[in-house]
Amino acid sequence: MKRKMKTIKLVLLLIGISVIGCSDLEENPQGVLAPESFFNSIADIQTAVNGAYGHMTHEDFWGRKFSLTIMLRGDMVDIGDPTTSLRRIEHNEFNVLADNGMIDGFWTRVYQIIGAANQAIAGAELVDADQDAKNAVIAQAYFARAFTYFHLVRLFGDLPYLDAPVTDIVAAGSISRTPAEEVYANIIADLAFAETWLPNTQPARSLPSKATAKGYLALVHLTRGDYQLAYDKAKEVIDNEGIYELALEPDFQNLFNAATIDASQEPLFSLDFEAFRNGDDGQDYAPALTGIRSDEQYGIGGGWSVAVPALSVFENWDDDDYRKAVSFDATGVFNGNVEPFTVFRDFNSRAVNRPHIAKYTRGTGTTANNNGRASQHNYSMMRYAEVLLIAAEALNEISGGNAEAFQYVNRIRARARSGNGAAVPADVSGLSQDEFRDLVMEERRLELAFEFKRWYDIARRRMGNEVFGASGFEGEKVNFDPNQDYLLPMPADELARNPNLTQNPGY
Amino acid sequence: MYESSITKRILKPLLGFLLLMASYTFGQDVTVTGTVTDENKIPIPGANVIILNTTTGTQTDFDGKYTINVASGETLRFSYIGYAAQTITLTGQTVVDVTLVEDASQLDEVVVVGYGSRKKSDITGAVSSVKSEELNAFPVLDAAQALQGRAAGVVVQSNNGGEPGAPINIQIRGNTSINASSNPLIVVDGFVGAVFPQPNDIESIEVLKDASATAIYGSQGANGVVLVTTKKGRSGRLTVEFNTNYAAQSTSNQLDLLNADEFASFQQAINPSYEQGPANTDWQDLIYRNGYTTNHQFSFSGGAENINFYASANYFKQEGVVINSDFERVTFLANIDAQVTDKLKLGANLFGSRGNQNGVPTQSTGQTANGGGDDVVSSAFRFSPDLGVLDANGLNTINSVGDDIDNPFAVATESVNETKTDNYRANLYADYELMEGLSFKTTFGFSTTNIFDGLFRPSTLITTAGGNTGGRAIVASSQNTNLISENYLTYNKELGKGNLTLLAGYSYQKNRTEGFSAGAENFTSDSFSFFNLAAGAVQLTPTSSFSERELQSQFGRLNYDYDDKYLFTATVRRDGASNFAANNKYAIFPSGAIGWKISNEDFLKDNQKISNLKLRASYGVTGNQAISAFQSLARFDNVLSIINGQQVGAVVPDQAANPNLKWESSFQTNIGLDLGLFSNRVALSVDYYNIDTKDLLLADQGQPEFLGFLTAASIRNVGEINNKGLEISLNTVNVTNDNFSWTTDFNWSRNRNTVEALIGGLDVFLDASPGYFNIDRTHILREGETAGVFWGFEYRGVYQGGDLPEGTAVFEGAEAGDQLFTDVADENGVTDGVITTADQKIIGDPTPDFTIGITNNFTYKNFDLNIFFQGVYGGDVMNLTNVQLFNGDSNATREILNSWTPSNTDTNIPRAALRGKQISSRFVEDGSYLRLKNIALGYTLPSNVSEKIGMDTVRFSLSGQNLLTFSDYSGLDPEVSFFGSGGGNSSSANTTNGFDFGNYPNVKSYTFSLNLRF
Repeated sequence: MKRKMKTIKLVLLLIGISVIGCSDLEENPQGVLAPESFFNSIADIQTAVNGAYGHMTHEDFWGRKFSLTIMLRGDMVDIGDPTTSLRRIEHNEFNVLADNGMIDGFWTRVYQIIGAANQAIAGAELVDADQDAKNAVIAQAYFARAFTYFHLVRLFGDLPYLDAPVTDIVAAGSISRTPAEEVYANIIADLAFAETWLPNTQPARSLPSKATAKGYLALVHLTRGDYQLAYDKAKEVIDNEGIYELALEPDFQNLFNAATIDASQEPLFSLDFEAFRNGDDGQDYAPALTGIRSDEQYGIGGGWSVAVPALSVFENWDDDDYRKAVSFDATGVFNGNVEPFTVFRDFNSRAVNRPHIAKYTRGTGTTANNNGRASQHNYSMMRYAEVLLIAAEALNEISGGNAEAFQYVNRIRARARSGNGAAVPADVSGLSQDEFRDLVMEERRLELAFEFKRWYDIARRRMGNEVFGASGFEGEKVNFDPNQDYLLPMPADELARNPNLTQNPGY
Repeated sequence: MYESSITKRILKPLLGFLLLMASYTFGQDVTVTGTVTDENKIPIPGANVIILNTTTGTQTDFDGKYTINVASGETLRFSYIGYAAQTITLTGQTVVDVTLVEDASQLDEVVVVGYGSRKKSDITGAVSSVKSEELNAFPVLDAAQALQGRAAGVVVQSNNGGEPGAPINIQIRGNTSINASSNPLIVVDGFVGAVFPQPNDIESIEVLKDASATAIYGSQGANGVVLVTTKKGRSGRLTVEFNTNYAAQSTSNQLDLLNADEFASFQQAINPSYEQGPANTDWQDLIYRNGYTTNHQFSFSGGAENINFYASANYFKQEGVVINSDFERVTFLANIDAQVTDKLKLGANLFGSRGNQNGVPTQSTGQTANGGGDDVVSSAFRFSPDLGVLDANGLNTINSVGDDIDNPFAVATESVNETKTDNYRANLYADYELMEGLSFKTTFGFSTTNIFDGLFRPSTLITTAGGNTGGRAIVASSQNTNLISENYLTYNKELGKGNLTLLAGYSYQKNRTEGFSAGAENFTSDSFSFFNLAAGAVQLTPTSSFSERELQSQFGRLNYDYDDKYLFTATVRRDGASNFAANNKYAIFPSGAIGWKISNEDFLKDNQKISNLKLRASYGVTGNQAISAFQSLARFDNVLSIINGQQVGAVVPDQAANPNLKWESSFQTNIGLDLGLFSNRVALSVDYYNIDTKDLLLADQGQPEFLGFLTAASIRNVGEINNKGLEISLNTVNVTNDNFSWTTDFNWSRNRNTVEALIGGLDVFLDASPGYFNIDRTHILREGETAGVFWGFEYRGVYQGGDLPEGTAVFEGAEAGDQLFTDVADENGVTDGVITTADQKIIGDPTPDFTIGITNNFTYKNFDLNIFFQGVYGGDVMNLTNVQLFNGDSNATREILNSWTPSNTDTNIPRAALRGKQISSRFVEDGSYLRLKNIALGYTLPSNVSEKIGMDTVRFSLSGQNLLTFSDYSGLDPEVSFFGSGGGNSSSANTTNGFDFGNYPNVKSYTFSLNLRF
């Protein structure tokens, strides 16, 4: 019996020694952030807004997939390298399917921008600080949300619309499409909030200011054909250009030079690439996509000749227009020799014998390498020249043949002429409403060439039958269907995930 | 009383072995002495010597000697575990030396199972054993490699061909998961989650396959368990062993590529202005060389009365067959076991290794950033043969067609990829016999794995470094520590004709990983390698990470055998894991099994032919705790964001909380039959299994992306996958006599895998192509299909122009000589007459129909011959290499010379043109093969000769590995493993198999080995 007790004691002792680390199994995460404890100060709200900006410079959005898609859908930029992926060619040829990989790719990221903006707005409520001070930062999130929905509504029409962070995945995941009208109303309301609370100027153009909100309000109204409202907002910007520190950059080339764009007063809002890259975060593919294959002239390893303007865009642009020289590279350097575009393909079989876009390759900054992916470009989402053109276009619709409208265009043309001292493009005067409407659209096409604006102009002005017809720059696009192609297909997998979503006509 | 208790212990060999050195007298007539040795004349201590039909006996001491008093005419029985017993009837002799021969039947062999061991004949689950001789039949770096083809149901594959130090993937009974690892749990000497020791130190490996065997490991057991037992010392003489081998290696195959002239005219057919370059370079010749491996192992073992030890040191070195690639490893291992008192046993296992891998970039993910140029093997195929290594300016050449990539020789010689891996493990145990039949064992172990990775690309590599980056260097380091404490009681009791064994225990594990990485570009000099990141003008975003998991468990097992006929096993484990979500912290994994030894029934007992017949059946649940740490919590994540040219803090919503996340569960049925004929000279085992894995953790592709989370698809328990299969192993002793023996071991296994359920029944597309192919979809998960079948266009030959054949179409703008594909109808049955991404379908299945391993062993006098074939039948391979090589923007194989032209229309190869890289059935090939994995001829010096030179054993062998491969595959090697950006991670290893691209080549070797024992 005594022996037994001893044994039991020994067992207990051994178990006692050996049972170490009895745990409650709770996780104490380190190195990851929990939402509930994050928002404590105004700086934390800014950090959450910065998340939205961060997503905008991802490869899925302005790094490549989104921007390339809208560039290729326009009538100026054609496919260069014929072996490039089908998902790109489909946009150029208007035979896009609902599972197109470009759309799949950017759809997710675009909604992540919105998710980040929603989180910043909601998180701000947890911060105990002066409401006005908070609003100045939250207004950036309102702008970011409006900016993003504005892109989406133009491409897809009716949208799944969320304006708060998602906590119930099932409920949020089964919403129907909000009509485009209602989306526009929300965009306008968000921009109005931004217009109220954003400061007149910001330390950098990569943060939206009051002028940015006004400029975008003008563009939203222009897109919707509300010309008076568009003109009013554009005019408010123009009348206060001094207060908002806005001006046309004297040398057009400086807008596409990473070394000069930071100090420029022309952009109203820009996406800043700065060679900091983390995978595809902050990775700028535009120089690679638009650059000449095997070209040595910029020391960035050449480009891929993927998005190359149709030859007739080059041929139909007056040689004396300084903007043409800024927009194009008609020569490349191969094996140390300058060669014309007519022989580009001799040096790389995937190149193409056409002038290439130069706006994103000529001034990529000091760190650019890797086909330009580490560029220091700032991409102007809207620059002051566009505000002038919005005012001109809107005013012409309100009252045709208006000298004030001519004068806005002439400011831009004067800057173009000053680049090389040529007489082209000449000032305009005495045009009818119809003539000037065509002229402004043409001026937008050239001034904003390859700046990802053209597709939206074609779509809002319903110019497809004309520009994709046999006389279009890229030749006849037989697949273009005006009843279908002004909108993209809703991603097929997204429809399968949420049966309450509907497909756009024709897809 | 004293005697009978001693006798009982002798009858229970396991426990009896613990009590050495008991001798006593019983007052008999003659004193007989002698030595008991094994076939190699090594004394066997602790062997039992019993007077037959009595309870009287003794054991040998640690020199194998015994003394016993016995009457003349009595019979002595000599026995020892694992050896055939011998009986000798005394006819007056006083010295009886006995040589015990290892038991051919192996039925009484003891098999290690989780937290204990069982006689093989009493096993109710599906367990395969692999012995030391098989593991060491030819030199391998990783013991896992030696398992290939050795055990039914166990598939072993290198993640990168013959790369020195490449990770080896083991899969038991198919992939039981989609996203979680399907790799088995590795347990070394009881330490859960260890790394393999080196093969020479391994005594045996047991592979636990069914739930009955693995459920004791609960949430870690779903993929099977590999139990490794390292060598232990034996009491008696000191044994010193020295094993050394040297293997000369070369690539087993090369592609037949175009030379410079052929290449130039091929390119000119595509682009008439192509100018032929100045050189004629065979890039494969430049990057390949003859490599070697050498392995030296030194060990010594032995023991005194109360203490045994085994210690070894090993040095392995491999020079790879691709220039500038090598691997070097030093390993130490020591095992000490001490019988402190007759009740208390203490022991320690210590292990340490350092591996140093210098790699060349192969099998890259082919990211678009460098056009796949960081892969020397595929670059050697692609790169223009009309260029030399340097151009006229003395710079490294860049490809003249296709993406700008650096030439493979420059990449191989100038880039640095170094990985240093340190593994240390210590495991201590105490085993105390509390009372007769009841013992308590406690173990405490600690292991750490430290990995340092350094990568450097000098500025001279233009595109591989990321394109004029002025060089790039990245360092990464990670440290993983694993702490484990286990305690369990084992109780053994005879109950009449029955025998009961009970096990109950508690286990605690904690695993912690910390890591960081940093990098820079644009260096002022190429001389820094990766040792001066501060000298880089551009700093890459540094990272650091932390994760921690705790697991605490209770487990128990009951074994009951009745009358040596009926066997019953029940197991349960309860696991609590920190990484399980709040609402599901604990899980219970039960299993049960029955066995019926029919051959012990009266009606078969005396059957002369059937020596063993046993039926086994088991059912149980095991788990796969694939949830990573913190995965169930709501989280933000950081993203890169730039304001005003400066990087700023930025967070975004990463995922919503999921408090219901839980482990994956596998429900497994196993039915097995063991049959032994003619005294077990023929031993057959057949196992059928069915594994339903439910609650698979899948990224919810059904979660709408417009919700805006960074992790767009959060993890949910939704999928189901099924694996069913048949395993057959047949071991025969074909001939055995004094001079000659011939044995054959054959195993055959077949596994069918079916995806049973996916989220919302939706297809899941996967991509295992190199990034620069710009392809989204190469594999598909679809309900009712095998996980990861190929997805692409169905090739229908060359379009001859004119009307399209019925049901076919071409890409827009195609002309005669281009590719013709099946025009797949949409859901309304309508075909659109043009090929778009909508015309893709399932075009192949990489899953083999069956795999086999056949080993024949012959011995003739002192010669031994081992011939080992391993093979795979069925299973498609996607020749991605050819997708690249037949694309027009690279060099090509000579097959391209048969391209379609208006005058050569009867061909399957389209006209010379530039084409997008498409996955199509044109590149799907049969991956069946049969490989002579090893042929080895050995010679052991006769013992009288070796004794003269002071050796116990001297053995030489010459062997060849991978000398012959029978296969129709047109690529280099049908054993393929390219995973694209998945890189062989859990998900890609489960679902994106069968792709061949840029693998480090497989090698053939000629090996000389020498084994000395003294």
